Amino acid sequence: MTTQELIEKVGLKPLSKFENRVVEGVYISDMVSDVMAGAKSGDLWLTIQTHKSIVPAANLVDVSAIVITGGKEVPAETVELASKYDIAILSSELPTFKLVGKLYALGVGA
Amino acid sequence: MSGCQHKWKMKNVEFGFVVFEKCFHCNRVRTYFTTEMVAILGDEYREADHFWHRVENAQSFRFDLQCSVCGDLESFGDLMGLLYCTGCLSDCRLEILRRELEAERIHMLMACGFLGESELKPKQVRLDKLEELTNYFNQRRDTARSRIKIVPFDLEDGFCRCKGEFLYDVDMLSQEPITARRSPF
Amino acid sequence: MQIRTIKDALDASVIEGEALLDVVVEHVYASDLMSDVLAFGKPNSILFTGLATQQAVVSAHMAEFKGVVFVRGKKLKDGLGRFARDNHLALLSTRYDMYEACVRIDCVMRGKVLLLEPVSVAPNGTEMSLSHELCVLGNDFANAGMVSTEVKSILKKIGLNPKLVRRVAISTYEGEMNVVMHARRARVHLTVTPQLVEVAINDEGQGIPDVELAMQEGFTTATEEMRAMGFGSGMGLPNIKKNADELIIKSEVNKGTQLLMKFHIQ
Repeated sequence: MTTQELIEKVGLKPLSKFENRVVEGVYISDMVSDVMAGAKSGDLWLTIQTHKSIVPAANLVDVSAIVITGGKEVPAETVELASKYDIAILSSELPTFKLVGKLYALGVGA
Repeated sequence: MSGCQHKWKMKNVEFGFVVFEKCFHCNRVRTYFTTEMVAILGDEYREADHFWHRVENAQSFRFDLQCSVCGDLESFGDLMGLLYCTGCLSDCRLEILRRELEAERIHMLMACGFLGESELKPKQVRLDKLEELTNYFNQRRDTARSRIKIVPFDLEDGFCRCKGEFLYDVDMLSQEPITARRSPF
Repeated sequence: MQIRTIKDALDASVIEGEALLDVVVEHVYASDLMSDVLAFGKPNSILFTGLATQQAVVSAHMAEFKGVVFVRGKKLKDGLGRFARDNHLALLSTRYDMYEACVRIDCVMRGKVLLLEPVSVAPNGTEMSLSHELCVLGNDFANAGMVSTEVKSILKKIGLNPKLVRRVAISTYEGEMNVVMHARRARVHLTVTPQLVEVAINDEGQGIPDVELAMQEGFTTATEEMRAMGFGSGMGLPNIKKNADELIIKSEVNKGTQLLMKFHIQ
């Protein structure tokens, strides 16, 4: 499944300009320290953390996209930085737990 | 030096806090890592001529790297954190380096050691260790698409003017939503 | 669902609250940011978090949650369980990461039935085509057999020949037990057309290094513990072969196994 397919199938809203990538797995954490220690290249990173440091953290571990859950607003600064690095920041109205159900039903990270 | 092309894995990962303490007498800042629950911000105590109080507790982690081929263990306990450049000064040596690397799709992060109370600049982490840390991150991605480079944070005036930010977690326990980050320096 | 169900599904250890396992929670809230928990958490929820600090427990308490599950094997420092104890909050720790933990609970909450395609079933079974997807969790002995029971119940409802239903149910049961004993989790796909019943069990797990060997009667890789429970007679795959009209096994070591069983409808 690619980022673009996910946007269509799950109903995610793209906020940044990004490079379409294959989603290999899912990583959920709001702590960049956890992400640095545990996320893998190609992971879809689900979080409610919107501080711009998620962009260098995402770059460091090479996630395929960041999904901000719970309809949280993402500051323009974060979106701009993400667009600069071609990192997809996608938005979902669903809270994390509900989004997991949808992703799993589609076979993401399975 | 072994002839091994090390294949690194993170080992001995410990989650904890990087604590920043400031002396309100001389304005020096010192930092250290602890796995103890550091509860109170603003807690003050006197030590010799200094009056320390905590200005920041950041969630972070400590780790070693171990080679899965030869078993060599490289400790990174002296790494306080990785900084990302915010491009605050266009003629800053590190900002210039960052731009050069980015033109080749290399993301730069700066490695910083801990700050002792008698020091104005953070300690350096050995260059060869930073190379291995760079290798660790590059081994886990498709380097044809992009790469990582970890460089030493070695500005002459330390954090005096630098507005770089650490990759760590603050305000996780805040009862209020976070608006902006304050620098601990 | 009861906190006990969550504990079982996540193979979690109990840090505090052995006496609180029968408490029922209505929602799962997954977050590491406590301001969010306080703003949006609903009472009678359980918190899943990677932030293993006392303050996370305090926040859960303020939001009127019933408990906290620390994921990724995180634990509170010794001696910090006191607050939870005094305020009747259950504290659990699971080795699973947040995604895996949420997936497991999601499976349980849905009764393990995930409807992916619309079901159209005619009562007399003349023109039928249905598709159901269910999931099995590895190591979940407490719920072992639920999926094959559900499959049996679905096939009975649509009026299939009882002998056929029995053969499908037995085969699915054996496949389900193999997942519980040897894999991490699996998706079970049941498809029924006018001519055919198909059960596909695709798991993520250690895989089968030698399928031919695994097909031999009596060969088992079950542990002592499993055998003490009555499983691992080594008849699983042979039984499926006996009951199904066609059995296709594909497996990759350290990835998983795919079983496809076909049953002709006369």
